[in-house]
Amino acid sequence: MIPDLSQTGEGQKEWAPVPEAPHVVLNHVTKTYGQVIGLNDVSIAIKGGVTGILGQNGAGKSTLFKLIVGRLRPTSGEVMLFGTNPFKNPAPYSRLGYVSESEQLYDWMTGLDFVATLARLYGYTRDEAKERAMHVLEFVGLDDVANKEIGKYSKGMRQRVKIAHAMVHDPDLIILDEPLAGCDPLARTTIMNVVRELGAMGKTVLVSSHALHEIERITEQILILHNGRLLALGNLHAIRELLDKHPHRIKLLTDNPRELGRSFLPHEDVFGVRFPNSGELMIETNNLSSVHQALPGICVESGIRVTGIENPDDNLESLLGYLMEGRA
Amino acid sequence: MMPEPDDIGFGQPEPGSAAPPPSSPSASPPPPSPVELGAESLGGLTAPPPQSPTPTTPDAQVPAPKAIPGGKQLQRIQEQAAQAFRPLTDTVWSKLDRKATAVAEFTLRQYRTKSSTWVVLGIGVLFVGMMLMFYAEAMATGYEAYDNDGDSYDWDEDGYPAGQERRLGTDPNDRFDYPDPDIYPPDDPSVWINEDGFDWDGDYSNRNQGFDDDSDCTGEGWTDPGSWALPGNKDYNGDGIDCNARYRTNVTGEIVLGIMNDPNVDEDPDEDVFIKEALHRGFVLGFGKIGFVFLIGIFLPLFLATGLIRDEMDKGTLHYIMGKPIARAEVLAYRLLGYLAVVWPYSTVLILGTALITGFIAPSESLFRFDDMAAWLGVLLASWFVMLAYGTVFCTLGVMSPKYGLWIAIGLGVWEFAMAMISLGAPNFPLSWLSISHWGIEIVNCTSILAYPDQSWMAAVSETVNWGDDTPITGFYSAPSIMPTSAFGSLLISIFMLLMVTVMALFIGQSSLKRKELN
Repeated sequence: MIPDLSQTGEGQKEWAPVPEAPHVVLNHVTKTYGQVIGLNDVSIAIKGGVTGILGQNGAGKSTLFKLIVGRLRPTSGEVMLFGTNPFKNPAPYSRLGYVSESEQLYDWMTGLDFVATLARLYGYTRDEAKERAMHVLEFVGLDDVANKEIGKYSKGMRQRVKIAHAMVHDPDLIILDEPLAGCDPLARTTIMNVVRELGAMGKTVLVSSHALHEIERITEQILILHNGRLLALGNLHAIRELLDKHPHRIKLLTDNPRELGRSFLPHEDVFGVRFPNSGELMIETNNLSSVHQALPGICVESGIRVTGIENPDDNLESLLGYLMEGRA
Repeated sequence: MMPEPDDIGFGQPEPGSAAPPPSSPSASPPPPSPVELGAESLGGLTAPPPQSPTPTTPDAQVPAPKAIPGGKQLQRIQEQAAQAFRPLTDTVWSKLDRKATAVAEFTLRQYRTKSSTWVVLGIGVLFVGMMLMFYAEAMATGYEAYDNDGDSYDWDEDGYPAGQERRLGTDPNDRFDYPDPDIYPPDDPSVWINEDGFDWDGDYSNRNQGFDDDSDCTGEGWTDPGSWALPGNKDYNGDGIDCNARYRTNVTGEIVLGIMNDPNVDEDPDEDVFIKEALHRGFVLGFGKIGFVFLIGIFLPLFLATGLIRDEMDKGTLHYIMGKPIARAEVLAYRLLGYLAVVWPYSTVLILGTALITGFIAPSESLFRFDDMAAWLGVLLASWFVMLAYGTVFCTLGVMSPKYGLWIAIGLGVWEFAMAMISLGAPNFPLSWLSISHWGIEIVNCTSILAYPDQSWMAAVSETVNWGDDTPITGFYSAPSIMPTSAFGSLLISIFMLLMVTVMALFIGQSSLKRKELN
């Protein structure tokens, strides 16, 4: 335990990443909390691009991230970050930016203080840290409130200041744990744009969410976790195709569902309609896009007022259901 | 302002300006697009500033010095000088500006935002203020001289003090037996008060001390040298010398361990002078040991250090610091650095303030009494090391057991209190050596001996005369316990022991923190 007198950080001084190694490697990793399994025999290797980690609450997304960033030690298996065990060696943190799911921040600090103070832990001088902090705060759109206390930030601003702190040292790998949780639509759009741009910069980005449509707007490369297990890993289009093989439902909110249902029945891709209640029409189809394309015309022709359109199957729960069926 | 999808590429290079190189070697050059411009902007943050003003391209020619006009030459020299001195900015000072001070400064600012910090510090100031008021009152109180040997009283009411009657050979208990008033007029009773003070030549090696100023042991000048009022055994202390005081000192003859007087020798000293001095020194010792070293020394770390890491773990914010390229052991050390940046200046201000105030009030022939400064510096030294040791131990307990750490720390505080009491009463009892408070108290003892050359003598006198509560120096002073022959040696050992506790606690704390999962 000798303090680092050079103050340049182990990351800068001694450590060098293993050449050509994937940024993240999990090799048969299992993590248990007593009797509860957090992650079960997961093996992945990631380098480059934006990867969406999908899973319901408790699926193991945060556990996966905490293992990758060295906050947790695997019960079995091996975790490597830039070819190094992150629990034993903090050096790879110099190339990692991590936005945790925790909503706790230092509310008494200003955004600029928060980002600049933590930037100094990468070995930057006070002035360098402040300059970099201002740049990233500008990047996430917080430059005008940089000198405002974090306690006075909105939820979206808090998420963005966390992202800023994770980017301040220009890392190669950025991990965002539920960055969109609790944000309003405008903040979501902004954060999603930031994530997309990070991916376009050539960074490796891991972003988790339990909402399929959110991930869809960010990336095509996804990883699905369910009950601690790796359920699927691949391109979102492939997942979409899987979804399209199953019957889909379109829910229309209308005052006259029966009359409207009659208008849809002649369509060749519609194989059934149902009326869950007096104000709803449920259309069943095998070709979602075809029906969606025809839907506006049919509604206009029928002259029946439609107040809402929903796709109940276009969510993670349905996707998980289909994937589980496939396994069974 | 939140960026719109199209304007996220902040800091896009102006047309015609050179874009900085991409920072990441692993990032492949992205295709030209609005997003790519943003990438370059961010990458530009890491681009180091040009290290040399000299262009390296063949096209750029450096003009010869002789071709430079005077003004430009001066500018060039200044640039060269700036370049020459540039490496100096990368010295220990600029490096200290980084991780260590970042964590310590953050810790300091965090303390500032907590009301508990101000409450604890405020209570400390109030406590010291109250004690100073008691002290000032005690110093303002005069101590009336009283007759320790009772020879100023006129027991038989014949007008003559008993001492005068004994000297002149009349019976002090017979009102009809008294000296001839024409030859020996009656003395004022005050003559027989404070008539035999402690005589010490300051030589620790000379064990034969004391002098019978009023001759009520030797019988010199008495009408009847064989008077019944004179002691039968004039060498009560058995040193072979009649009517003296035998000093018992330590091996090296640096510390007076005890005084044994022959009968009626040094038995009636001046209370006003002696008690006030002993009271003052008792305050320095007692307040130093109990107030600063123990009470403030343990409560400040208990409230300020226990949660240094534990609170961050509880709140789930520790990962903000831990998730950086900094060893966990360093985080622990630098957080403690921030803690010390609060408690050390605080105790310094309190102790030096107390020294300043007491310096003006304490018995002294000059306006300000400088004699105590060394003793107060000893108290300061003790409080620093004690707060360092307690802080590290409590912080470690918080790391080891976030759930029960505070309760274990409170339990340890009770143990420390018990050991402090033992250390005050029986400093040689080895059990108390297993405490931090003992070594802090020992530092104050040792430095007081070094600060006041006659400290052990004064304590021994108070013990001998048995002034009791009037002279708390007897209760608060102890000779060095670990190394009775040397106050300086004991001081060094005490500091070493406290540093050992600190290092051990730090070692255990960082080992525990290294294995901790931050869930």
